[in-house]
Amino acid sequence: MLNRQLILLATPRHIGMLDWRPGHLHWLGQHAANAAGMATFAQLVARHAHLPAVIIVDSVDEDYRGEVLPHVQGAARTALVARKLKQSFRNAQFAGAWRQARETTGRRDDRYLFAALTDHEWLVPWLAVLQREGVPLAGIAPMAIACQHLLARLHVAEPHVLMACRLHDSLRLSYYQDGMLRFSRLIPGETPTQLRGEAADEIAKTQLYLTGQRILPRDARLHVLLLDPTAQLDTAYAALTADPAFSVRRIEVTELARTLHIPDDFLLATPETVPLAAIAGKALPLNLAPTALLQRHVEYRWRRTLHAVAGCVALAGLAATAVLWLRAESLKDDIYQLDTQTRQLDVRYQAVARTFPRQDIAPEQLALTVGVAQALERPGPAVLALMTALGTALDGAPNVVLEQLHWAAGDALADNTATIRIDATLASFDGNYRAAMQRIEHFMQTLASVPSLHAVQLRSSPVDTGPDARLAGKTQAAGAAPGQAVRFSVDLLYREDAP
Amino acid sequence: MNRPPTAALKWPLAMVAAAALLAVLGISWSWDATRSAAALHAQAVQARTAAETRLSHSRAQQDLIAAHLADYEALAARGFVGAENRLAWIEAAQVAARASGVPALEYRLDPRADAPSALARGLPLKETRMTLVLPLLVETDLARFLAALEQRAPGIQRVRGCTITRGDDAPFEAVDRPRLRAECEILWFTVSTQRESAP
Repeated sequence: MLNRQLILLATPRHIGMLDWRPGHLHWLGQHAANAAGMATFAQLVARHAHLPAVIIVDSVDEDYRGEVLPHVQGAARTALVARKLKQSFRNAQFAGAWRQARETTGRRDDRYLFAALTDHEWLVPWLAVLQREGVPLAGIAPMAIACQHLLARLHVAEPHVLMACRLHDSLRLSYYQDGMLRFSRLIPGETPTQLRGEAADEIAKTQLYLTGQRILPRDARLHVLLLDPTAQLDTAYAALTADPAFSVRRIEVTELARTLHIPDDFLLATPETVPLAAIAGKALPLNLAPTALLQRHVEYRWRRTLHAVAGCVALAGLAATAVLWLRAESLKDDIYQLDTQTRQLDVRYQAVARTFPRQDIAPEQLALTVGVAQALERPGPAVLALMTALGTALDGAPNVVLEQLHWAAGDALADNTATIRIDATLASFDGNYRAAMQRIEHFMQTLASVPSLHAVQLRSSPVDTGPDARLAGKTQAAGAAPGQAVRFSVDLLYREDAP
Repeated sequence: MNRPPTAALKWPLAMVAAAALLAVLGISWSWDATRSAAALHAQAVQARTAAETRLSHSRAQQDLIAAHLADYEALAARGFVGAENRLAWIEAAQVAARASGVPALEYRLDPRADAPSALARGLPLKETRMTLVLPLLVETDLARFLAALEQRAPGIQRVRGCTITRGDDAPFEAVDRPRLRAECEILWFTVSTQRESAP
């Protein structure tokens, strides 16, 4: 529905209307250029005023000029084209330019085709109806442009093509170079049979004209396409086939119908629809309508674009909202299921927990408490064994008198060790410190020889012979009574032997 | 497309604005709904995971209880779990002294303190230091006393260390008079409970 449009075929004698949308054609009839025809046309237009319209004009009052202009762009091109149009068609209101190609050599100029309706008086009443009804007019194009689209649809590959199209008892000859319109003329016929014999002559004349105007290269062979749904150009076909200057091809109705996707009977009943169906939905490369007439179509296009934008925005918003809402609903379903599962798990846990004995602490803490208690209850160093070990050493040193014994269990619960400090004195000290130190050393060796005693160290010595210490005393005569007590301390480590 | 004829496009522009507004409102509403649902979903997942963990642990907890409940209750009965029982400790020391032939006993109990974390391993383990001063006839009295104390201890205790000091330098006489003095540090361990710490 978005591409639906009205395609009007306007001639000085009548106007036809085609309601087109992709894959669908509806011929709305032909209206003569008189009061009755104008009235029915107005009624019909009023009913289809919301559709954009394209007018295909088919008139003898056409003028085509090919020009090569310097390559410019933007406003300069617009001004250049406008100036050239004014020069070429001084008073023509319906004129247009088509920039067809760019030269590949030289200055690489642009090649233009300028076209105009030199007499447009017959068109004005039809346009007035359209304007009055507010129809958005998309453009006005000559019939030759519609035939160019037909050429493209037929996939004609020849570089120089002359299409002879017979419609409304008239013969239109249009020359296309490389698929683009270069020249067109309409030969009107007063009677249906008038043009039958003259068609071949008109084609030959046209070839001479094109060659003379250097539009058609001299050595080019013209490929003539005969488009005649009513089969009135058979005579011309025979004549042209015999002429070696031409290659001729007749386009059959069945081929046309297949190409344009139109039923054969519809095509035979309304041959006017052939060029209209070919150009339907296509952009107009050559638009003869003045800008003022296109204003409603500009509005129409903006309106349609804005409607599309609004629709897209609304659809996108709706889609995003739907996606998010569905996501939320899905999450809610998941939450419900999760809650159900959680309740079921809680019920099962409660069933298990009811079997637990009543305790103030958690089961993990209960096990930990037992573990800690077991660690604390591991036996420490045996006091009796410790004393026995020390006693063994003291028995071997009768001159050592024990003053104080201190032992402390090790910090670690795992090993049964104890640090021991022994404060003792030497009995019968005679003032000979060397002998005293030897006795202490002997005592320490005795301690170290006991298997469970280790790391025997002298903590404090009875005499400090270091260079930094002050040392004073007095010697005694041999055989003198024992003097001052000689005190010393020893540190050692007790470790119970493994059983 | 030429310059837009703004005046003729009032309604289409209004439609675009209305569509945009509706889209924004719809998206905003559904976004909020999705966000709050996602937050609730995360909570529900967390709750289910916690319930699963609780249930899976309950079997292990059953095993733990079966393995350790009797020991725990025994420890509680011995006074390891709960408040201090200082009088019982003092009585145990006195009984041990009498049983080992120690004629007299001095004792001192320090305030209850937290046990070292290496021992506690996360438990609210407390330790109370008891200092005992004993007169000894011979060194082996101390070993007998400590063995007797360990046998009668109402709870869990460990001997921290002892110091034995000779009283004087007088020559040995075969009289029943203690000439050694022992000073021992004993740690009594207890586990504080919630019920105990509650006001």
